[in-house]
Amino acid sequence: MSENVFQPKIVAFLCNWCSYAGADLAGTSRTQYPPNVRIIRVPCSGRVDPLFALKAFQDGADGVMVLGCHPGDCHYQQGNYFAQRRYALMHRLLEFTGVESERLFVDWISASEGKKFAQVVTDFTERVRALGPVPIKRQTPALQEVSA
Amino acid sequence: MSALEEQIRSAARQYLENGDVSVVIGYERGPKGKVRPAFVHQADDAERLVWSPECNLNLVTYLHNYKHSPRRGVPVPRVAVVVRPCDARAVNLLLHEQQIKRENVKVIGVTCAGSEVDGELRQACTVCQERVPVIYDVLVEPEQPVEVPEAQDDYGDVAEMESWTPGERLEYWAKEFDRCIRCYACRQACPGCYCFECVAEQVFPHWTSIALELPEKYFFHVMRAFHLAGRCVGCDACEVVCPMDIPLSKLNRMLAKEVEALFGYHTGDDPETLPPLATFSPEERLRL
Repeated sequence: MSENVFQPKIVAFLCNWCSYAGADLAGTSRTQYPPNVRIIRVPCSGRVDPLFALKAFQDGADGVMVLGCHPGDCHYQQGNYFAQRRYALMHRLLEFTGVESERLFVDWISASEGKKFAQVVTDFTERVRALGPVPIKRQTPALQEVSA
Repeated sequence: MSALEEQIRSAARQYLENGDVSVVIGYERGPKGKVRPAFVHQADDAERLVWSPECNLNLVTYLHNYKHSPRRGVPVPRVAVVVRPCDARAVNLLLHEQQIKRENVKVIGVTCAGSEVDGELRQACTVCQERVPVIYDVLVEPEQPVEVPEAQDDYGDVAEMESWTPGERLEYWAKEFDRCIRCYACRQACPGCYCFECVAEQVFPHWTSIALELPEKYFFHVMRAFHLAGRCVGCDACEVVCPMDIPLSKLNRMLAKEVEALFGYHTGDDPETLPPLATFSPEERLRL
């Protein structure tokens, strides 16, 4: 990574059943993707409360990705449908309050789409890099404050 | 004493005399002449109740104090509450969310001509089409029917802000949120805000610190707005009680507009329809 360009911090919530396996496939097939992404494995995209994204922004993430199974493929039948509705509103709320909604990225990635995962992460990293640091970041990251 | 006040008092007196309810929640005039919420326990005290356009709070909030039995062997108290049409939809909201039981609540619905904030008609009231509550046990009506304004709510203020650039919007909200002192009055006044432990005060998980900085204030207000997405009835009680005059109704109205556009849902019109975030349609593909 070059020191001179802005390196965004990106938090990615991947559903255990599709997207995490997709990321795994990207890894095992040695597909290159930017190291800016920090992956968090969750049981389902329906588990990812939009407040997780808000908290991530607050604690220093410049972009948040929520990746789940394609509609109809959810391991729990309906989790991603609920997520879809929540994020549709959260996107608009972020946009309305002045945080670019592109910083919150929601997409569906199946276990066989390793290539798509790498592509999506690359594109998103570049978009967030262009946007710059998130404006609602805390000065002190939460963890440092607790341990201090 | 207006005809409305007379009807509210007689309804309250009747409920208390018959033992239908143990308390009537309405408004009274305080020692300095301002209206304030009143809790009437005795039939004789029903004379304290008043009604005027200054009654701009949402008394449904207080129903949360009467949800549980005070001690073992004592039934859940029955309550009567004076509501405007917007407040009445909050009653439907709480019924749907199983916070209250219909048989425990008597609704005294007031035919509303709009409420005033600081002597001026509330913005939302100038375009409000509903003058009669959707749910009531007693309807309080004036002698003259209330006129419905011709202007419909087109969410013009929200649309205008949406035409700004993200930078301008951030600047606007940073300026507004900067005044916030995090007194949580907005949350306390809201009938939809009844979490046992609010995210803003939770320590485990520690969502946000108590610092009075933009990130924390932003988190609190956006979190609260999102929790009310598809649940806000638009009574603007949060904005009325805000000591720093933060235009919170803009956040709520923006979400109400989106919820109406995306899901065709209007909060509290009936207690049966599922709110938008509690259901889904397998066919829909929303812009993400």
